[in-house]
Amino acid sequence: MKNAVTAALSAALIFGSGSAAFSIERGGVLHYGRYADSLFLDPVLNDANVDIWILSNLYDTLILPTDDGKGLKPGLATDWKIADDGLSVDLTLRQGAMFSDGTPITQDDVIWSLKRAANPENGIWNFLLVSVDDVVAKSDDGITIKLKHTDPAILPALTVFNSAIMPKKPFEASEGSTDAEKAKAFAEHPVGSGPFVLKSWQRGSTMELVKNEHYWGKGEDGKPLPYLDGIEFNLLPDDATRILKLQSGEIDGAELIPYARVAELKQAEGIDMELFPSTRIADVIMNVRPQVDGKDNPLSNEKVRQALNYAANKQAIIQIVTHGVGTPMSSYMSSATPLHVGEGAVYPYDLEKAKQLMKEAGFEDGFSTSILILAGSQDEIGTATALQQMWAQIGVELELQQVDNATRTQKYRDGVFQMRAGAWTDDIADPNEITSYYVYSKNIDAVHSGWKSEKADELFEASQKEIDQEKRAEQYAEIQKIYNDTGPIVPLYETPYPVALSDKVHGFLQIPLGNNVFRAAWMDKQ
Amino acid sequence: MALLSFISRRLLQLIPTLAFILVVIFVLVRLLPGDPASAILGDRARDADVTRINAELGLDQPWPVQFALFVKHIVTGDLGNSIHLKVSVASLIAERLPVTLMLTAMAALIALALSVPLAFVAATRRGSLSDNAIRGSFQVGLSMPVFYVGLILLTVFGAKLRWFPVGGFGTTFLDQLYHLFLPAVTLALSLSAILMRNLRSAIIGVVGAEYVDFARSKGLSSRLIMMRHVLRNALISTVTLLGLQIGTLLGGAVITETVFAIPGAGRLMIESIYGRDYPVVQGLTFALAIIVSLTFLATDIVQAWLDPRVAR
Repeated sequence: MKNAVTAALSAALIFGSGSAAFSIERGGVLHYGRYADSLFLDPVLNDANVDIWILSNLYDTLILPTDDGKGLKPGLATDWKIADDGLSVDLTLRQGAMFSDGTPITQDDVIWSLKRAANPENGIWNFLLVSVDDVVAKSDDGITIKLKHTDPAILPALTVFNSAIMPKKPFEASEGSTDAEKAKAFAEHPVGSGPFVLKSWQRGSTMELVKNEHYWGKGEDGKPLPYLDGIEFNLLPDDATRILKLQSGEIDGAELIPYARVAELKQAEGIDMELFPSTRIADVIMNVRPQVDGKDNPLSNEKVRQALNYAANKQAIIQIVTHGVGTPMSSYMSSATPLHVGEGAVYPYDLEKAKQLMKEAGFEDGFSTSILILAGSQDEIGTATALQQMWAQIGVELELQQVDNATRTQKYRDGVFQMRAGAWTDDIADPNEITSYYVYSKNIDAVHSGWKSEKADELFEASQKEIDQEKRAEQYAEIQKIYNDTGPIVPLYETPYPVALSDKVHGFLQIPLGNNVFRAAWMDKQ
Repeated sequence: MALLSFISRRLLQLIPTLAFILVVIFVLVRLLPGDPASAILGDRARDADVTRINAELGLDQPWPVQFALFVKHIVTGDLGNSIHLKVSVASLIAERLPVTLMLTAMAALIALALSVPLAFVAATRRGSLSDNAIRGSFQVGLSMPVFYVGLILLTVFGAKLRWFPVGGFGTTFLDQLYHLFLPAVTLALSLSAILMRNLRSAIIGVVGAEYVDFARSKGLSSRLIMMRHVLRNALISTVTLLGLQIGTLLGGAVITETVFAIPGAGRLMIESIYGRDYPVVQGLTFALAIIVSLTFLATDIVQAWLDPRVAR
């Protein structure tokens, strides 16, 4: 746990990354091209990355994630301590911190915000705070979070967007009788605690954020952050248009650059092609139930799954789909996820071994199966086409079924699929989120695969309460071994976040959890 | 009077058409696999969340109950709230539909401005070099996909020459016209090719008609013959064609709006279908159905005006 000294030191070092060699210039509006618009800017009730990844600019959390996405640094809390019995957390609140309307951030606001986020009736993220029993005021400047049981991930959970601090009074004064109605009304004219505040939003076109004049953070020049006067998000769904607009100087940054354009933009004058480390993984999820649609399912055989894994040439797929930008997955979780174990591809390409395993499984002559892929997704079509050819060599005939996302989700949830292309990004700097979905059978049937390991379930349940970090790391090592050896997926590759920026832009960061951090971004004026 | 009674007859016919469309929209959107809750929550959805959201949206009710509510809302002018965007569908349509209509109207005007004079030149100099050049270049315009033409225009006139902005939508009316110019040209290119070919053949057909010979024998100037007798009669089929193409233009706007980053109804429609945002899909389809129906009505009226026999 951190003590006050390390917290203070970290505070002094916050926001310094990447820009120390420059003399920072203040002011200006950064125009940033996004591929899709936000939907609903409520930290608790949102449900999509398009909201999650920009919310940290509008609302601060008590603790902030470090730049590598793995550690913790002070946010609206300056210090924290977990009790010796692990059943409560004391946090000291930052003195003088204010909301964007100039009113002070009080204990009441913090208690109300955390309770709202932990309420099982609210949204889909409350599971991250499932251990929270109560939140109470402590002396004059702090709060205590009381836990139902020990929770090793409680501090990372306080960095996640859903535990952001919002102003209780204006929220409750908003129109509507339910929390959802009030959230809707409040989100139209929000009062925030982050470095920026929403000024206007033309849905489907532009969103303007302006600097929060009351923000607590200090820049390298000792003056308040942020450096920018504002950010303008321009919605540019077409990849080619987004890049053209950056090249013509009409915007200063563009997200989600297609991998095929990365090499070209690395050479382009006036553009910094950034590949920010991420927790994003891409895989193939197999339905391992003994029968699917009333027919025997070869994928229920562990050896068949291993054979498919060995027969998939990940390096080739990485070249074809990500143009060499990706790296092979070395576990079911990304290598940027805490407690990840593994080096090199989980199953290195070995066609002979794959054939041998198919023979041992009694499928020497192969079988036919199918994969659900997202219609129009070049990445998924590329991956599935490559797998089709690779698996044909062990006699497996793969049919590609292109469907839209809602159709796929429905089939997937109903368990009426053979395989599907999958992807994941962590929202919390802890392995528990991905593990609860991918491995733990009692949440969503291990990514709806029907796979179940009692041992892995037990280990996961134990790890959720284990506050001895070493023991927890051992538990996770074992979970990963079980899952990687016998699990329902073909792990393919990890990819960074490809963001192209004008070389005038400095200090922008997309952390491995996906958050776009503009807090310490600044631009050359010239 | 004949024209007035013709218009009122056609207006009355609109009512059963629109009622039929209401039923079709309601059923079609629900026949798509995947419900809004799955689309909202995506792969990480837990059963309890899906059930809760479907109940919140009233989607756990039987279809007849949902339909009765839908019709009641439509009649009272309440189109409900978007499931994803949490704002009223009426305000979304009011924001996004005028943008698409502006784009479509501008494209139709540019297409007419291009096709009418060129069809005239091509028809009157049939078989000449200029006729072949005009027809050839329009054929190229027709055969190129909309997204490709859009990207070429954006690259050349936006990024390279900087004459126009690289996509986006302005704030003032003039600025918006400026932003919409390249996308409107993109849409107009394929439309004008169709209109030009049609009008050229129509003019050639009319020029050979006996009444034109008669007008000429009366000693009318060729300019007068062309304007009053040839063009007016030749335009009848072109107007019909333009009216019928409005639906296609609105469809083409989806791609153009994506390439040029224009916040129009086309893109909203696609996003709402993918997201199974039933209220938006229903409201927007209904609004578009009204517009297309009214366009057909306007086409009929113009036709009746050009050719009074139609109204009888």
